[in-house]
Amino acid sequence: MAVRGYDENEEKKSYGSVFLLGTSLLVAVSLWSLWDDNITRRPWKKFQTEFYRLDYRKAKAAYDEEDKKLKADPGYQDLVKKLAAAEDSLTRGELAKKLKSLRAEEARATVRFGDLDQEVKFIKSELEEAWYEYDHAVQQGRNTKRYQETIQELEKEKAKVDPQLEAARQKREQLKEEIKNLDAGIKELENQLSKMAAERDKWIRVMENATVNLGLLSIYKIPKIRQIVLDEFDRNNFDEPTGRVDRCQTCHIAANRPGFENEPQPFRTHSRREVLLADSAHSPDKFGCTVCHEGQGAAVNSVRQAHGEVSYWEFPLLRGAKAQSSCASCHLDVQKLQDAPLLAQGQRIFEQIGCTGCHLVQGYENIPKIGPSLRRINAKADASWMVRWIANSHNYRPQTRMPNFSFKEDEATAIAAYLWSASKEEGDKWLEGHPAPAGFREGDKEMAAKGKNLAEAVGCKGCHGLAEGEASTVLGKEKEIIPNLKNIAAKVGPRWIYYWVKNPRDFSPDTRMPSLRLSDQEALAITTYLATLGSKSEAIAGIEEKLGDAKNAKRGEALVRKYGCFGCHDIPGMEKESRIGVELSTFGSKTLEELFFGNRADIRHTWDDWTYNKLKTPRIYATERIEQVMPQFNLAEEDIKALRILLASFRDKKVPSRYTADRSQRAVQVVEGRRLMHQYNCIGCHEIENRGGFIRKYYENPALAPPPLNGEGEKVQSHWLFGFLKEPIPLRPWLNVRMPTFNFSDQEANLLIGFFNGLSRVEIPYAYFDDRKVPKEHLDAARILVSKEYFNCFSCHKQGDKNPEGPQEGWAPDLNLARSRLNPNWIIKWLQDPQKVQPGTKMPSFFPGGPDNIMGGKDEKQIEALRDYIVMLGTKAPGADGGRTASR
Amino acid sequence: MKKAMLVFLVAALVTLPLSSLLAYEGGAVSDGGTISGVVKFKGAAPAPKKVEVTKDKEVCAKTAKNDPTLIVSGGNLVNAVVSITDIKKGKKMAPQKVTMDQNGCEYKPHVLAFIVGSSVDILNPDGILHNVHSYSKANSPFNMAQPKFKKTITVKIDKPEAISVKCDVHGWMSGWLFAAENPYFSVTDNSGSFKLTDVPPGTYTLEVWHETLGKVSQKVTVKAKQEAKVTFEMEKK
Repeated sequence: MAVRGYDENEEKKSYGSVFLLGTSLLVAVSLWSLWDDNITRRPWKKFQTEFYRLDYRKAKAAYDEEDKKLKADPGYQDLVKKLAAAEDSLTRGELAKKLKSLRAEEARATVRFGDLDQEVKFIKSELEEAWYEYDHAVQQGRNTKRYQETIQELEKEKAKVDPQLEAARQKREQLKEEIKNLDAGIKELENQLSKMAAERDKWIRVMENATVNLGLLSIYKIPKIRQIVLDEFDRNNFDEPTGRVDRCQTCHIAANRPGFENEPQPFRTHSRREVLLADSAHSPDKFGCTVCHEGQGAAVNSVRQAHGEVSYWEFPLLRGAKAQSSCASCHLDVQKLQDAPLLAQGQRIFEQIGCTGCHLVQGYENIPKIGPSLRRINAKADASWMVRWIANSHNYRPQTRMPNFSFKEDEATAIAAYLWSASKEEGDKWLEGHPAPAGFREGDKEMAAKGKNLAEAVGCKGCHGLAEGEASTVLGKEKEIIPNLKNIAAKVGPRWIYYWVKNPRDFSPDTRMPSLRLSDQEALAITTYLATLGSKSEAIAGIEEKLGDAKNAKRGEALVRKYGCFGCHDIPGMEKESRIGVELSTFGSKTLEELFFGNRADIRHTWDDWTYNKLKTPRIYATERIEQVMPQFNLAEEDIKALRILLASFRDKKVPSRYTADRSQRAVQVVEGRRLMHQYNCIGCHEIENRGGFIRKYYENPALAPPPLNGEGEKVQSHWLFGFLKEPIPLRPWLNVRMPTFNFSDQEANLLIGFFNGLSRVEIPYAYFDDRKVPKEHLDAARILVSKEYFNCFSCHKQGDKNPEGPQEGWAPDLNLARSRLNPNWIIKWLQDPQKVQPGTKMPSFFPGGPDNIMGGKDEKQIEALRDYIVMLGTKAPGADGGRTASR
Repeated sequence: MKKAMLVFLVAALVTLPLSSLLAYEGGAVSDGGTISGVVKFKGAAPAPKKVEVTKDKEVCAKTAKNDPTLIVSGGNLVNAVVSITDIKKGKKMAPQKVTMDQNGCEYKPHVLAFIVGSSVDILNPDGILHNVHSYSKANSPFNMAQPKFKKTITVKIDKPEAISVKCDVHGWMSGWLFAAENPYFSVTDNSGSFKLTDVPPGTYTLEVWHETLGKVSQKVTVKAKQEAKVTFEMEKK
């Protein structure tokens, strides 16, 4: 009997297995999604848990260590026993009884005080009400008598209760005090114990910080994202400020905690943490990590994603030294950064090897051309040498900054021909006015020997090497910024050398080679000597005609334009040409799509690889259709590394000022002044910022070498330094080496002063020293102090025309000059401890330990008196700038 | 815990300064022997060079002075310091109080050797300004003025080192402070000989140091209560 629409078999069929399957799937998927959401996609949770475990374990070990020490410390154990005894006496016996009764009494006193207090409060509010009614009645012109009476009544009542309240308060306080006194012994013991156990108990806090207590159960802290938001740090494509999210410390949780230096990443303490992550430097709470290290700060799903080492993320993690490239985003003066040596090195190379001749970079626009002027080159160089030099400069001097353009001989000849024809007019004119020096005899041995001695004495070696392997300031690993002259005879002849060493600016007004104020005879001796270094170039057959050929010159002009020789050299007729290379201001932000790899399949497509190979082999990406003209610099591997870090720092970034380091006028002056200082190679002779003074290696007696200039800004007065830079005077007449005349422009001299002042953090360059305020007793005391009987200052120091006894190398600077030269405050510092100001100085310290019988035997008084005396010494000296001096 | 202790121990060992590991232990030496000998100068003895006094002649030129940097007497070297460099245990060592005089603008003795940690009194009986300028590296360098009224300056030398001392006022003055690591050292006398006493039996490295000629060393074996004879030879490099 079948019912319609009813299928018995169907009804009997069991769907249990389907339900089971469905349910299991549902459960499985739920579990999976739970797993995926909490575990797979939260790898940082594992790291954090692991860290808390590590942190706890370390703290526990340290705690146990300290605890063992305390257990072995009889003093501590003694205190523990005393405390136990004291606590015991308060829980049992007479004292306990007393304490109990006191506490009961205190409770009663508190109740009594509370009652009275309440009463007073009620009276006060009733008074308020009465006063209100009274005021109201006055304003409405009603009778006020009723209210006045109420007020008086209430005041009376209050006056009665007030003293009661005060008495109750005192009673309560007194009882409290008594209870406290009974407890005092215990409190004191507890204090002593916790002080002794401080080293141990601080670990308890660390352990507590790594765990959470759930009732009796203690588990490791529950992991959570740790993020920092840097407001307006970045800019979007519409140049609007956007925030930056930085979650790195979710895993790198101990970056700013000491004690994890030897743990594996991500738990390691940041290197040089105390300096780099200090609150005054880059506190990670303010800066996060990506500011220096890049990566994808917001990503936490995987290590690779977080480090930004995935496709299409443009700022992958800067590993190792490459992080140095970030410094330049916020620091203007990178040379002073101790922790960015490669960046600083790269910048020095970049500024001085000529990159800016072809490439424009913001902040580096005004670097002058680094090569010599070719305006009169035909009057200077040997023609055959010139052709070979142009063809491959590295053959003549492998360490030269001049890169190799790999010209064929005919191209080199064409370029030389152009330079010859372009410089002919001015060069020939110069030659007319500068006949071969009278008295020059080639190969005169005696004269050459004299010249050699002179060249070494006056300081030529501060810049030039004169033999194989000699060098002063080296750029990068081994580049010479100033030529070694060991083979100079191949390049130039005695006629040119003579006028050049006498006054370089006569030939080339913009040269950085200074004048050493040589006399004619001295110049002649040095010329004779230099002409013996190396041998004359072998003449190329028919060179004269080749250089005179107008067709050659025309071809040469095109080559000069194509290869941009005017980027480094002043060339007649090319004054208005602009840089031929691409602008590099944002080179570090270039994406792979913007880098041309040519047909190179063997080079990995990364920014690093592209840049490395470009610097190593500049024309490596040339193809049959695309020519490249960048010349070969022969850079050492380490120089390429340094340059690459600098190039990576050229980023398209505008960091808001609240994140940046000093960009004030002072910082600008330091940066530009240092650049100028490098340009004139001051560090060839002088140590500045603890760097340089390379000439010192030639001196056995350091007292005869040029003085170090560390702290010069603080030492000398700006106006004196200005005059000295413009026109140097012999400060230490016993030195053979001469401070040359650089013919600095006013602007340059000011920049150098700003540089020295900036380095010394001199805030106010001019201050006033008031002679009238110098007490007579200072001068009287100092006169005795400087005498033979005491410090005998003039045993070594010159004073005007009065010279000390003995050989000149034992002398010390003229104290008459101190008035206009030295900063009076610096004199104090100097007298206090000369070795601290200039380690190794001949000046001994006279203090502490001045004589007892002068100025009450007080050292600081004596020093002040000496300073006043020294400053006043110069008043009568000729050359002192009349009257009182402006000084700091 | 054990592991932690081990780590701690290793860390402690690593961080302890090397010198304290090689620390010298002093005590009584009952059967000590003696090392004695001379330091010979190889080659022709240089003629004594007169020092020209160019300053403060009334005080400094009273006595004639010879260049002290290389004095050879009867073929033997004067003012060399002979010391045992690798002895760990031996006679008692205590800081001394020693004196260097500048009488007549000359350091006397020219080489002053003493146990490290000693105090050196530097005297100025000349009644003129001297300065004591040390060119030390291990110890912190000093340059102290010693005017007429300061008859004595005392310095303490804390680390073993041969320290050159100069006076910048009188360029010719030079002397040496030799701070020895252990009590076994001897400055060769005017005949170039030296003697080390109470040396516990054993084999040691004996080193001679001279300001101009550098260092030379050799092994020497000392037997109980016997004298070991040693001859060094030094030459100009």
